[in-house]
Formats: sequence, C-alpha cells, structure tokens
Amino acid sequence: MVLEATMICIDNSEWMRNGDYSPSRFQAQADAVNLICGAKTQSNPENTVGVLIMAGKGVRVLVTPTSDLGKILACMHGLEVGGEMNLAAGIQVAQLALKHRQNKKQQQRIIVFAGSPVKHEKKMLEMIGRKLKKNSVALDIVNFGEDDEEKTEKLESLLAAVNNNDTSHIVHVPAGPNALSDVLISTPIFTGDGEGGSGFAAAAAAAAAGGVSGYDFGVDPNLDPELALALRVSMEEERARQEAAAKKAAEDTSKQGGEQQAGSQEASSQDATMTERASASTSEAENKTTDLMDDENALLQQALAMSMDEPAVGHDVKDTDMSEASVDDPELALALQLSVADSTKDQASQSEVLADQSAVSDILASLPGVDLNDPSIKDLLASMQNKSEKKNDDKSSNEEKK
Amino acid sequence: MACLHDHSCEDHDCSSDWSLYKHIDLDKVSALNEATTGTVKSVFKAWEHRLNTSGEHLESNEGDPELLVFIPFTSDVKIKSISIVGGADGTSPSKMRAFINRDGIDFSDAQSMQAIQEWDLAENMQGVLEYQTRYSKFQSVGNITLHFPDNFGGDTTKIHYIGLKGEATQLKRDVVATIVYELMPNPSDHKTRAETGGGFSHVE
Repeated sequence: MVLEATMICIDNSEWMRNGDYSPSRFQAQADAVNLICGAKTQSNPENTVGVLIMAGKGVRVLVTPTSDLGKILACMHGLEVGGEMNLAAGIQVAQLALKHRQNKKQQQRIIVFAGSPVKHEKKMLEMIGRKLKKNSVALDIVNFGEDDEEKTEKLESLLAAVNNNDTSHIVHVPAGPNALSDVLISTPIFTGDGEGGSGFAAAAAAAAAGGVSGYDFGVDPNLDPELALALRVSMEEERARQEAAAKKAAEDTSKQGGEQQAGSQEASSQDATMTERASASTSEAENKTTDLMDDENALLQQALAMSMDEPAVGHDVKDTDMSEASVDDPELALALQLSVADSTKDQASQSEVLADQSAVSDILASLPGVDLNDPSIKDLLASMQNKSEKKNDDKSSNEEKK
Repeated sequence: MACLHDHSCEDHDCSSDWSLYKHIDLDKVSALNEATTGTVKSVFKAWEHRLNTSGEHLESNEGDPELLVFIPFTSDVKIKSISIVGGADGTSPSKMRAFINRDGIDFSDAQSMQAIQEWDLAENMQGVLEYQTRYSKFQSVGNITLHFPDNFGGDTTKIHYIGLKGEATQLKRDVVATIVYELMPNPSDHKTRAETGGGFSHVE
C-alpha cells in the first residue's frame, strides 16, 4: 500500500508495428499499461498514474499523474505508431512530471517500456540513472521487442545506477505465446517490491495461470468482479422471470382480471427488486436492455402459446401484453388493468359518454381551436344525438320486450 | 566534554540547551542522496553523544557530496544556532544552506532557490563549533531543510550529528488535523443554533 506517483513511458516507435507479440507489440504494450494502471490505483486509492509517449513527433506527456483511470484509458486510444524512441528525454520528462506532482508525500516511480533499440551511450544512461537515484526516484524497465545484447547491457547498467535498495527492477520479456501483460503480472513491477502483492495482482496471476477455462461465464470474477456479478444476477433474474411468466400463463388460461392484476403486480414487484439489484452494479444499462429483450421474447412466446391453445382467450392475450409491456410502472399497469376490466364489464360505456351531449360540448369547448358555433361541429353533434337516441330506443324496447 | 565557551561549564549544563532534537518529528525526517535510506534519523541525538562516531551516521552516495536533509518539528520552534559534526578526511560538509517551512524541496529547487541563510562550515571534529542564525528569521519554524552542497574534498559527505539550539513553542503550524468526510449529511451532526437554544432567526 505504498503511496506512489507513477509515470509510464510508452514506446510508440516504428518497431512497435511488429506482430511477434500478439496482436502487435504496441497493442500488447497498451494492454500491459492498462493493467498496471488498474493495479496501482487499486493498491492505494491515493496513488496517481501518468502516461507519456517517447516516440512519434517527440516526447509528449499524454496525462499528468492522476488517479482517474478513465482519463488514462481514454488517452490510450488513437495513439499513432511511428518515429524513433528517445529514452533519455523520455525519462527526464517523466522525472519532471513527477517533480510537479500535487501530493509531495507520494514516492516517485517511472515505468519504462523499452521495445526499440537504445541509441544512447551507456555513460549517458548511467548519469541519468544516478540523477534519478539522487532524487529518490525508482525506475522499472520492461525490456521487450527488439532483442540485442547491447540494448540489454545498457538497460542493465541503467538499472544498476538507479537501484537503491531493490526499489527498481528490470524485466526481460521475450516474444512468445504468453501475452506481455500475463508475464508482467508475476513480476515485482506488479507485486510492488514483495510487500505481499495486491489482491489484484495475485488473483490476476492465478487467473492467468489457470487460463480462461473453468469460469461460469467465461469471465474471471477476480479480473472483473462487477461484470461477473452482473452476469450472474441477470441469469438469476431471467430464471425467476421465466418462472413467473410460466406461472402467469398457467393462471391466465384458468382465470382473468384479478389474477392478471396479481400477476402484473407480482411481475412489477419483481422488477422493482431487479432494478434495485441492477442499480447496485455498474452495468445497469446492460441489465435493463437484456431484460427488455427477454421480455419481448417471452411476450412473443406467450402470445403464440396462448393463440395456439385457446383462440377464445385472444382478448386476454391483449391484456397480458399490455400488463407485460407496462411492468416498469406498476401504477400504470394497475390503471390499465382497471380500464380493461371496466371495458369488459360495460362495452357501451364509451358510447354512452359520447352520447351525453352536454358533456361532449363541454369537452369540445375545452379543446383549443374548436368553435362550438361552427356548423360542421353542430352537424356532428346532431348526428351523434340521433344515434344515441336510437340506441336508447333499442334499449327501452328490449326492456319492454322483457 | 569540552565546551569552549569563555566561561566555565560547571554552572550550566550544555546538553539542556541543545535539546531541540526532542521536538523533531523523527518519523517524517527524510534526506535526499543518502547512501542508505533511513540513516538520517541517527544524526539527531543528545548533545552528549555528538562525538559518538561508532553507530550509524548519514553518508551521501559515492562520488556525490551533496546532501539534503528535511527536518519537520512537532510544534513551531525558534532556532538560535546549529551545530554540525562531520566526518574525517575531508568528508565534512563545507557549506550549509537553510530553507524554512518549505515542503518537498529537491536538489534542483535547492540550487535555484534563495536560501534563508547560508554558512561556511569548518571541520568540527570536537563538536564545539556552533553557527548562529539570524534569529529574527527563525522565529516560527515548522520545518527546516538543510542543503549541504559541498565538502572538503572527500568522495562522500559524512555527518555524525546535527544539533539545534533554541526554544520550542506550543504552537502548531497550519495543521488540518481532523477532517471528517461526509458521504451524506447526518442531521444529528449539524445542530443548528435554534435547536440548541439561542439565535434570533428561524425559518417558518
């Protein structure tokens, strides 16, 4: 849990186009950088990490030391590969960036990814190393990519000049089947000088060793606990919802109205718990979209099943559809239920409302842009009045007949 | 114990004068360019032990005589004078520069900044030399940084003892001691004047 400010120096020179590290040297480097940033910020929340590039048009600081992981990940996008790496200038700029860190209590550390050949003299590198040691800056070197003896020798001498009590390290990563990040996980660069390592590093190491197999959802719970939790939760919800839907289907075939209400309320309460749990995890949006899609699928299946089993219950299918679609809002569901129930009880209610002429004229008056004295509207009202009179006559005649 | 004052030592005890080391916050003492991390703490000891060269001492890296020592205090102090006991064979520091109440000074800062006072040191093997300060400038010192840019020709710089004479006040400097971070306000933590009685205004 050392309080540390770290500057990561990235090599984005032409040598990084090579594919001997999959998918390319540059991509492998980027993955390793992301992993390091995560490990540093996890081991101590007040740690800060910054990134600079050493090649391209020149040494450039992309992010000054910050604890905001998002900023760091964002700046890694759209980096171009080209130019030649300037190791000496890169380290010196990194030292300057660390000197101006906001929290002076943080230890200073530079992590250098040296992929291309080193063109500086050994003496110059040693001088730089001594300057770093004098200002108590630790240096970690990742030697990958181009492999020649001179480069290795120079980097080793640089490390010897900087190293103070084993706070600085060098790692040689040859090209091979293992990813760069996997190799780095087990090194002191991640585990932080043998303090016992952060939980992140240890678990990630175990995951790397065990391979991807053996996990429920193809995602290591240690590497990405939130994603694993979200997947597990949505699986449980899907199962629960399908059970509820099946129960509802069985109930719908036997009863209507009240059961539907209960069913929709049950589904809505389930949804409340679902949304509560979803909001607890960060992938809330993902959950909701998957739920909605599942809802639609289930709706379709239900509709098909019902229409095949009992064509007489077509009306109920409509009701179920409405309640299913509106489960997000339990009040709305209730209202719809009541309105549907009402309409089944009294089918003529709507026309009766219209027949009430005074009510109609009131409604029309409240509408904007409608003038009651407009002749077309008067005609309409008159025709409706005739219709309602006819209906009333029919009703009264029926009653008489009875 | 040779006190080369121009009076006899029987009346007063020199060691009580040099007791400012008791007010040093030893955990936070740090040094730049020391060969072994942590040895800087060994140079702050009682006056009697200043000539004790057998234990740990502060040494700079090979071939580089510069040293920077950061000394924070537990309360504000007034420093009257400073005494340095260096090593033999040209490893004693030859110059000393002091900076007051500055955090996080490194070598490039020290070289470019104007020090509050500078002294030319002499080899002080008997531990009798003391260097007086411009007392008015050293009135409320929360921390002091000593920069030793050069020595008498040795490969490294060795310091066995740094003594500070002066007075300690009970005051502390700018310490934001207790900060409580609230995620959500807790009404019971925020009693208004109206609740506790007194105060003229209240919201209807």
